[in-house]
Amino acid sequence: MTDWKYRQNRDGGWAYNKGCSWTEPTAFVMLAQSVTQVDGRSFDAASKFLLSMQREDGGWRPQPDVAESTWVTAVVALLPEEAIGPERLNRAVTWLEGQTGRESSWSYKLRQRIAGNNEKYPEGWPWFPGAAAWVIPTSLGILAFERELTRRGAPGLDAARLRARVNSGREYLFSRMCADGGWNHGSNRALGRDGDSYPETTGIALAALHRAPKSPLIERAKAAARRHLATCRTAEGIAWLRMGLQAHGENVQLKSEPAPRTTMDAALLAIASAARNPLLS
Amino acid sequence: MDLTRRDLLATAAAGVALTRCGQTPPRRTASPRGSLVSISKAPGYTMDVYDSVYRMVAEHKLNVRGKRIVLKPNLVEFDPDTAINTHPLVVHAAYEAFRKLGAAEVKIAEGPGHRRGTLDLADAAGYFKTVPGFEDAFTDLNLDNVSQRVISQPVSQLKALYLPHTVLDCDLLVSLPKMKTHHWAGATLAMKNLFGVVPGGVYGWPKNVLHWAGIPESIVDLHYLFPRQFAIVDGIVGMEGNGPIQGTMKQAGVLVAGSDVAAVDATCCRIMGIDPAKIEYLRIARGVENLGESSFRQIGEPIRSVRTPFQLIDPWRQMIQAGA
Repeated sequence: MTDWKYRQNRDGGWAYNKGCSWTEPTAFVMLAQSVTQVDGRSFDAASKFLLSMQREDGGWRPQPDVAESTWVTAVVALLPEEAIGPERLNRAVTWLEGQTGRESSWSYKLRQRIAGNNEKYPEGWPWFPGAAAWVIPTSLGILAFERELTRRGAPGLDAARLRARVNSGREYLFSRMCADGGWNHGSNRALGRDGDSYPETTGIALAALHRAPKSPLIERAKAAARRHLATCRTAEGIAWLRMGLQAHGENVQLKSEPAPRTTMDAALLAIASAARNPLLS
Repeated sequence: MDLTRRDLLATAAAGVALTRCGQTPPRRTASPRGSLVSISKAPGYTMDVYDSVYRMVAEHKLNVRGKRIVLKPNLVEFDPDTAINTHPLVVHAAYEAFRKLGAAEVKIAEGPGHRRGTLDLADAAGYFKTVPGFEDAFTDLNLDNVSQRVISQPVSQLKALYLPHTVLDCDLLVSLPKMKTHHWAGATLAMKNLFGVVPGGVYGWPKNVLHWAGIPESIVDLHYLFPRQFAIVDGIVGMEGNGPIQGTMKQAGVLVAGSDVAAVDATCCRIMGIDPAKIEYLRIARGVENLGESSFRQIGEPIRSVRTPFQLIDPWRQMIQAGA
């Protein structure tokens, strides 16, 4: 499964499993290659595919037949600068800066205030423009902005604003934490009832909080991740849990590596087992 | 009621929809009078389900010979010990029935709304074990190739949707939902099951654009994007209470099928003790006057012999319970 070039499509990208190339698995395979073994020709072809996926607005579309920029822009923004070039990267970050969950728009907040609800609605990131913020795109947005803040220069980008979005993103994640200490897709309570967390979302949120100040909430999240890791059977879940715990200094030893079902699984597992996590700054 | 931000968000989105629907809801179809809905008793997930499903499909006299069929179950969560997912035996029974009736190709396809690892989810739900060669027959609709389809005369705020080729290219889309209550829509049956065809790879997990566009209206718009449908509802063990995820199992011992999917849903509502005229998406799709029991031609078991009232949570208990 990790012999990437045999699964690489002719356009240079990778499918999640089979079919056409998508931006997300392509970027994750490139990230995996960047910390394992770079196959120059394969990496260049993938870069070319990704460059063709950037839209005029600076964001990335998820696959060639979609004419919208989406959350996958954050995954591309995590790639090494040389993969897409500084100018395109700046435009990607600028696009991401303009994206927030619809619930944090002033008009929504105003309607809520009028209805007597004074919740804060911290700014997270949506999957798709115009929708609400959710845990995975917010986690990826935080990681992308933290990466951007460690880059030299970044002309035209306001570091204070990026920092504010990182802080707001963290606040969003804490507000969506499930009662068990982990995260699900982002609906921690529905009709007054607690939702259960998932392994993969707990892992990715924990990874996104790797630079957050130590707190009892982080400790609760780590405990939830350890509990999930003890029972999780999926490659996706195990990979993200490993990344989440490792991001907080825990060395995770597995009795056996889970078998990847998809290219995406294989990329995540390769990143989780690498000495350096390319998602973390 | 203990509402949270997320609840309020969803409620607000639904509220916008309800306000609009409070005006005269547009009706989109001719009278369904004469639509055939079949009900079959099925006390458990046994080999008898294969015969029941075959008989139900056959009695609708569908012309499936040489056709491409896509079976769309409802896969939501990993827990195989609850009634969240369509039981794999029902899916396999439908798979075998359509093959036996001469379909050229039968695929199974689903795009779950919360969890991204669809194959892992299907495995945990028992699909790999029950359906031989499952992985070859299966397409993850969240990650399939897509094309954009414009929605003509939308009732939701959607103007167009990207949709997976697997469902756009098939000759018959077979909705195989679980019979469940739903905390936002009242009941989730064959029409609501089509949320799963909207690709997560484009819109995310969950497919939140549908919520903002109005849940009942989006259900209706999706329904009309697929004019060639059939439905077989798995009501052998359904879910009552805080569905579609946190509810409790409810033995209803029934399968309900038909080509008029709204008629199938209305019939399921009656079985569940819900007034179909109070389910927003059925009302928009059909109009109250076309949801009466006499609007459909029923075969098999009469509703009264399988009626199993499902427990509803507030505020639905007051709103949609039959006789409320």
